[in-house]
Amino acid sequence: MSLKKIFNWRVNLLLIFIILMIIAINPRPFVKGVQITSVEQGGVAYEQGIKVGEIIKSINGQSINTLADYVNEINKLNITPQNVNVVTDKDTFTYSITDDIGFRVDQNLTVIGSISDVEKGSKLYEINNIKINSLSDFDNLTNNLIKKNKIDIVTDKNEYIFLIAGDPKIQVGNAETTNIKKGLDLEGGTRALLEPVEENNQTVTSQQVNDLIKILSNRLDVYGLKDLKIRPATDLSGNKFVLVEIAGASKEEVQSLIEQQGKFEAKIGDDIVFIGGNDIKFVCREDGTCSGIRQCSQISSDQWDCNFEFRITLSPEAAKKQAEITKNLDVNVTESGKRYLSKTLDLYLDNKKLDSLQISEDLKGKETTDILISGPGFGRTKLEAYNDALSSMDKLQTILITGSLPLKLNIVKLDSISPTLGQQFLKSSFIIGIVAMIGVAIVIYIRYRKLRIIIPMVITVIAEILLTLGVAALIKWNLDVASIAGIIVAVGTGVDDQIVITDEVLKGSAQSRYYNWKEKIKRAMFIVFSAYAATLAAMFPLFFAGAGLIRGLAVTTIIGVSVGVFLTRPAYASIVENLLGE
Amino acid sequence: MDQNKIEKFYDKNYKKLLLIPNILLIIALAIIVYHYSTTGEIINKDVSLRGGVTATVYTDKQVDINELESYLKTKMGDALVRRLSEFGTDKQIGFVIDTSNTNGDLLQKELETKLNLKLDQSNYSSEQFGSSLGQSFYRQMLIALGLSFLFMAIVVFITFRNFIPSTAVVYAAFMDIVIPVAITIIFNIKISAAGISALLMLIGYSIDTDILLTTRVLKRKEGSIWERMTSSAKTGLTMTFAAIVALLAGYFITNSLVIKEMFFIIVIGLFTDIPSTWLMNAGILKWYVSKKENVTKENI
Repeated sequence: MSLKKIFNWRVNLLLIFIILMIIAINPRPFVKGVQITSVEQGGVAYEQGIKVGEIIKSINGQSINTLADYVNEINKLNITPQNVNVVTDKDTFTYSITDDIGFRVDQNLTVIGSISDVEKGSKLYEINNIKINSLSDFDNLTNNLIKKNKIDIVTDKNEYIFLIAGDPKIQVGNAETTNIKKGLDLEGGTRALLEPVEENNQTVTSQQVNDLIKILSNRLDVYGLKDLKIRPATDLSGNKFVLVEIAGASKEEVQSLIEQQGKFEAKIGDDIVFIGGNDIKFVCREDGTCSGIRQCSQISSDQWDCNFEFRITLSPEAAKKQAEITKNLDVNVTESGKRYLSKTLDLYLDNKKLDSLQISEDLKGKETTDILISGPGFGRTKLEAYNDALSSMDKLQTILITGSLPLKLNIVKLDSISPTLGQQFLKSSFIIGIVAMIGVAIVIYIRYRKLRIIIPMVITVIAEILLTLGVAALIKWNLDVASIAGIIVAVGTGVDDQIVITDEVLKGSAQSRYYNWKEKIKRAMFIVFSAYAATLAAMFPLFFAGAGLIRGLAVTTIIGVSVGVFLTRPAYASIVENLLGE
Repeated sequence: MDQNKIEKFYDKNYKKLLLIPNILLIIALAIIVYHYSTTGEIINKDVSLRGGVTATVYTDKQVDINELESYLKTKMGDALVRRLSEFGTDKQIGFVIDTSNTNGDLLQKELETKLNLKLDQSNYSSEQFGSSLGQSFYRQMLIALGLSFLFMAIVVFITFRNFIPSTAVVYAAFMDIVIPVAITIIFNIKISAAGISALLMLIGYSIDTDILLTTRVLKRKEGSIWERMTSSAKTGLTMTFAAIVALLAGYFITNSLVIKEMFFIIVIGLFTDIPSTWLMNAGILKWYVSKKENVTKENI
């Protein structure tokens, strides 16, 4: 028996595909370290050109091998809070700062924006007993006050050295060792199945669903949730769904971002002044000068509230409208002598009143495009209230930027999945694979008493798994538990077919000399192809059933049996023919 | 026993042997009908098909499962708690809670109080199914199962273009689905969407052996029918046992309850496939072929 005979075109074709699929999977078993999963836009790291996918090798000379190493190094960069003393023409303030002084001044040293206690519009005299005479004094002093750290990040692609106050605003995860993508139930994260509903019970169109997905993904993206997948899904009855999967996000965050349609309205009395989306040209966000938590106060012994404020810019049309409405309002004078208009500007989110803003007298009939939006946050401690206000602000800003959804969404399924079981499941899957293979080998040995059959059979099974994983990596299919079940089914079918082929070849050589090689294989392949067609037909409905949540089973089964029928089985047949036929 | 004797016995009694699988099928159908008449359901649906929450807590903290279950029953209405253990060591790694109460937050809070454990994404998974979604999933899976069966039948009929043998293959596949369903009722096993998809996978496994048998008996000319049938049985039983061994390994090793449920159903189906193929389908084929031979003889 010559090697030339074994490596005929069928076997060679299989070998070529195996090599291609290994390239597709791109295994990197020795890759260590943490990989950058997202870079916050506008942050320092972003400006330095750090890109998603780079693997961090070291930070400030310390080599980074695990997530813990990374966290450890980043924690060293955190700045300890310090007290500052600010004197203005109005008052003296002492407060604690970390990476920002909390207010900005213009050329005349008038405070133009503030998230600290320093009042806007007041004139700055001193900071920490140092007299401020010019804007450059202010800049120099704040630069000295806020200590910036030098950070040196070495990645597999580049080295980045820059100055930074606080952390570099990037997110990281463990480096990927293959191109195979893991599904949510193995990776952990949050999944929501949403059912869009039209208010008047009209049928939802695909166009609406597509618009919805665009706005929703934009909203989640602007909010800062990375690594998200949103896709439309239909079931066998034609119901439309939207499936959202986000790795590493908490259920609560996702729920609150999705549940709100985000219809934002500002009204004076019953007149709508402006609405979220088109009427709003700019929303100040992540900029301390015009967005932040203003003040916190204790309401009762275990109740705090904090207020957030941020500036938005209206479109000229909306400003005109506001001028027209305020023109006819009366002026009231409060006890403290402040003069406000008789009606307030009320902010509504999804028909729920968010806040009422007093309109000062000087805005009467004026076209102003600048509006300061504010709202509260509550908690049992100051920190809790602060964080609550911060997250409310974040969500409101997100909704104002991205506009409202064209449809209301019902959350019909909401899952929060821990990565713990996924890791254990993967580990046990390997053991199952090995034990199952040994079991099958024993059955085959009992039946044929020939090691010569077991070896090609095991090789074929491994080739089939490899090819299936390779195709899955190529089409970027996320492998979940259902997909792995599908691979098992496909491999089982593969073993079945190999037994059929072996028996046909053995029988052919034992019983009759009239059948040539081609005839024998043709006969075996008839059975193989009939069973293949039936399996395909049986798996097809799973693509759509249950909003496609168990589509993975169908996908990997179909990939597995297809590579089996077209690549591995012909090769196996030719190997067995050569090993046994003579 | 002598090969010849078995062959003679089979030739004489194959019609009587046909009774065995058919009686099994009738018993299974009776169980399903009885279950349906008492509960209004064909299968015992789990929360994924009924609506509710299924949650997993990962902890090695020892907990009295029965006590936890009765505690949750009073708080949530109903609950089922199962232990998760590591293969080999039997060490507890956590437990799974199913409840048809759809309030997932309440369940988490009750578990935190009862276990005195902070639950977050590192040690807690929960899947929440709205009850209307569960119902629709169930309908969807049944439609999928029906369609799969129909498509498979069409493929079989196209392959053999012969009414009685094709019907025999489809009939055997039907039996391979019905008997596992009856077994899950007897053992009071709750079926999820994954469980129904296991039934769907059974369709594929089941007809492998039937197609093998029918092809060899109808399309081959060498040897007697008996020889062709026994050679098919040798091949087919090797296939079935290889699959059973592999799936049993998976069943015992995996810590995923979903995989356990699927593999259990498929293994039962594979065992069912033995009488459904080698007693029933083979019997019908034998009957069909001998009738055809008689007709041909009479014509000559």
